[in-house]
Amino acid sequence: MDVLQLLISGISQGCVYGLIALGFVLIYKATEMVNFAQGEMMMLGAFVAITFINVLGWPFLPGVLAALAVMAVVGMVLERLLLRPMIGEPHFAVLMLTIGLGFILRAVAGAIWGGSPRALDSPYAGKVWQFGELVVGAESVFIVAGTALLCLGLYLFFRFSRLGIAMQAASQNQLAAYYVGIPVKRIYALVWALSAVIATCAGVLTAPVSLVDPLMGLIGIKAFAAAIVGGFGSLPGAIIGGLVVGLAEQFAGLYLPPGFADMSAYVILLVMLVVRPQGLFASMQHKKV
Amino acid sequence: MSLFQAEHIAVSFGGVKAVQDVSFTVHSGEVFSIVGPNGAGKTTIFNLISRIHDVDAGRLLFDGDDITRLPRHGVAERGIARTFQNTELFDGETVLNNLLIGCHVHRRTGLLAELAFLPSVRRQELGFRRTAEEVIDLLKLQHYRDHLIAGLPYGVRKLVEVARALCMRPRLLLLDEPSSGLNPEETEDLGFWLDDINAELGITVIMVEHDMGLVSRASHRVMALADGALLTIGTPAEVQRHPDVLRAYLGD
Amino acid sequence: MRFIRKTRYAQDIALFRHNGQRFWYALLGVLVVAAPLALDDFYLGEMAQVYIYAIAGIGLMILVGYTGLVSLGHAAFLAIGAYAQAWLLTRGWPFPLALGGAALLTAATGAAVALPVMRMTGIYLAVATLAFAVIVEQVIVHWASVTGGFSGMLVPGADFAGMDLASPRAFYWLCLGVLAAALLLAANLLRSPSGRALVAVRDSEVSAASMGIHLIRTKTLAFGLSAGFTGLGGALFAHKIGYLAPDAFTLQLSIMLLLMVVVGGLGSLHGVVFGAVFIGLLPQGLALLRDTVPPAVAQIPGLEPGVFGAILVLVLIYEPQGMYGRWCKIRAYFSEFPLYRRATYKRQKRYLRTERLQ
Repeated sequence: MDVLQLLISGISQGCVYGLIALGFVLIYKATEMVNFAQGEMMMLGAFVAITFINVLGWPFLPGVLAALAVMAVVGMVLERLLLRPMIGEPHFAVLMLTIGLGFILRAVAGAIWGGSPRALDSPYAGKVWQFGELVVGAESVFIVAGTALLCLGLYLFFRFSRLGIAMQAASQNQLAAYYVGIPVKRIYALVWALSAVIATCAGVLTAPVSLVDPLMGLIGIKAFAAAIVGGFGSLPGAIIGGLVVGLAEQFAGLYLPPGFADMSAYVILLVMLVVRPQGLFASMQHKKV
Repeated sequence: MSLFQAEHIAVSFGGVKAVQDVSFTVHSGEVFSIVGPNGAGKTTIFNLISRIHDVDAGRLLFDGDDITRLPRHGVAERGIARTFQNTELFDGETVLNNLLIGCHVHRRTGLLAELAFLPSVRRQELGFRRTAEEVIDLLKLQHYRDHLIAGLPYGVRKLVEVARALCMRPRLLLLDEPSSGLNPEETEDLGFWLDDINAELGITVIMVEHDMGLVSRASHRVMALADGALLTIGTPAEVQRHPDVLRAYLGD
Repeated sequence: MRFIRKTRYAQDIALFRHNGQRFWYALLGVLVVAAPLALDDFYLGEMAQVYIYAIAGIGLMILVGYTGLVSLGHAAFLAIGAYAQAWLLTRGWPFPLALGGAALLTAATGAAVALPVMRMTGIYLAVATLAFAVIVEQVIVHWASVTGGFSGMLVPGADFAGMDLASPRAFYWLCLGVLAAALLLAANLLRSPSGRALVAVRDSEVSAASMGIHLIRTKTLAFGLSAGFTGLGGALFAHKIGYLAPDAFTLQLSIMLLLMVVVGGLGSLHGVVFGAVFIGLLPQGLALLRDTVPPAVAQIPGLEPGVFGAILVLVLIYEPQGMYGRWCKIRAYFSEFPLYRRATYKRQKRYLRTERLQ
């Protein structure tokens, strides 16, 4: 039963990594920028949800929806203010910018909500369900269900709208995209809003399991490992990468000496980068000379 | 006297046979052109020679040595220089620095000597600079010497690419579509420079070209390819009249 | 306006373009060497720290600015240099040998790191270096027999050329001397074929290889040299902080080193020095600021990194060429007065071009 328990923890933690990784990949597919502050977006989203639900007393679902709306706007504002001027700059500069953004967001969160961890009042916190000998926390179930729903929603969105192709065009050759009439700036804003929403979902889903504090965004690095494992250009790959990392962490904790569990995400990352840098699903293309 | 020989070389990418059973010989001191419609495998052959891809079959011989499996930097060390179809210049650097990087094969100093900037390094640097200036004089790039590549017009970039290859003092120069993107005057100038490079500097040239005027004017012999296969080799006049070549370009 | 009439190639190779430059640098040299006679110990310590950052920054600049390989984990090399220095000293090595040994050890580690990351580019490389830094941190924590693990390691005192390094003056002059030597080595590197090879690899690997540049050797060299310089800085850093613990070498320090290089001005040694001065003075500036703002603001957790982040963002958006770039523009303004035109430095509108095709 131990293994099954680990499996469940691994999958639910993996889903959280996967959701953050999804945000990374989404922004990368559309703008070819890597947003190192994705973990901080999750943290901010969780705090905003706390404000609506804990502080203002709203019921759970409306509070979450309000948080999603607020964070969508935050995402668009950040894109407009900080990322728009960086279009065309080398990718490394944008990476540094988002790292700086992460620092700023942490400080802002610390300023508004203080540094001590807080819990989100959710209707299913603490509930457990028993299946024979198996004890499953309701939070884990909701994390997995929430991730699945979100993925379904995104799939439908991209399948039945022209946004997916427009996104890819805008990221491969922006000037050409302008010429064929793609509203590039609107796409960027939309993608950032979407990423912020996904990150907020991750934050709200994981808040009952781990407390919310300004430093919770640091799991973004592990989520980054998940994105690389899955392949940076692949949306389903992000989720699968997240699951791989989540499961590996749990099982490393069981079978390997202490301290290795924490490192396992990074070791997987390095192995993937050396062996198959394009990840499990994406394919890297080579320039023709 | 043959300087370069390709024997039955072939390469496929996936299911596409990019080059099939092509053999040719280039004599020392000649200008040898490769022509053919798009997709004929011309640039692929260059990529095989400069070892960007591996051959699936066949051999490449340079001055009697087998270079089929050399590492990429080894090709330059043997004295083979190439230019690229879409210029691959060092965009963050000045024209002069690009040319100095072109002199890299002639480097005789080690890392420690360079860190200390010993007199031998200083002498070498001055020698490289002299080489670069000679090439600048030959191709009339004085005006652009200290400009960054990023702001240069296209025709000048192509010229810098050729200049950089010349700084290597190669014995064999591979020019990939040198006149593409150039206007008729610039193409005519290119013809003159080809004459200079070939006659004065004694460099053997293999050239992939589409401009048949330039090919007729500047080449000694021409090889025609289509769909990866060899059609014919001969003088420019012979090749232009060859029935297979006409069929490849104009259809039946 | 100054017109430099060049008559010999050697003028282009020289480190200083004209006698005016030589004069100003000589003046600067006299000032920094004489500083201990005028400043008190605290400021000497701060300036020594700036020099140490600059030495580490030279290493990072070689990798990021010149070879175009981004490293998010350079604090790991700082740590390796520091711990190596402490360990060699406890083994009884004399100070100069320990310093050299620490730098070489770190350089070897850097070269070793280069091998698995050889084919990685851009963001993948950056993340790999990040992972490497985390792993180094774990190694330090768990290899307690050598590093003292969590409880840390005391750095033995040392003396050099008759002066005890615990004395702020001696330490200041040592750091200054090492910085001058490091700058000279780096400047020599950059005007020689090896340095040009680094830049060639950054701009176009394909054509660098067809120019006869050995890609593997060049990248290994870049990593090795970068790690070596940073390790040298780390060895001096060990003496500065006196007691080594794993939490002195965090991700935040790596980011701060990158910040230094970016804010100072990517792509020039001047930028490293500007950046080091900036990083060195920033905590003091913040401390002063803390005294002037209301306590509610001063007590914000993560205020210091937040300010770093804000400065980084502002510099990247408004002055991507960093402090040195701004300095060059100001200097151009005064030297070309009244003919200076802002359009000279105006950035072209740029469009995104994919970097995914390598």
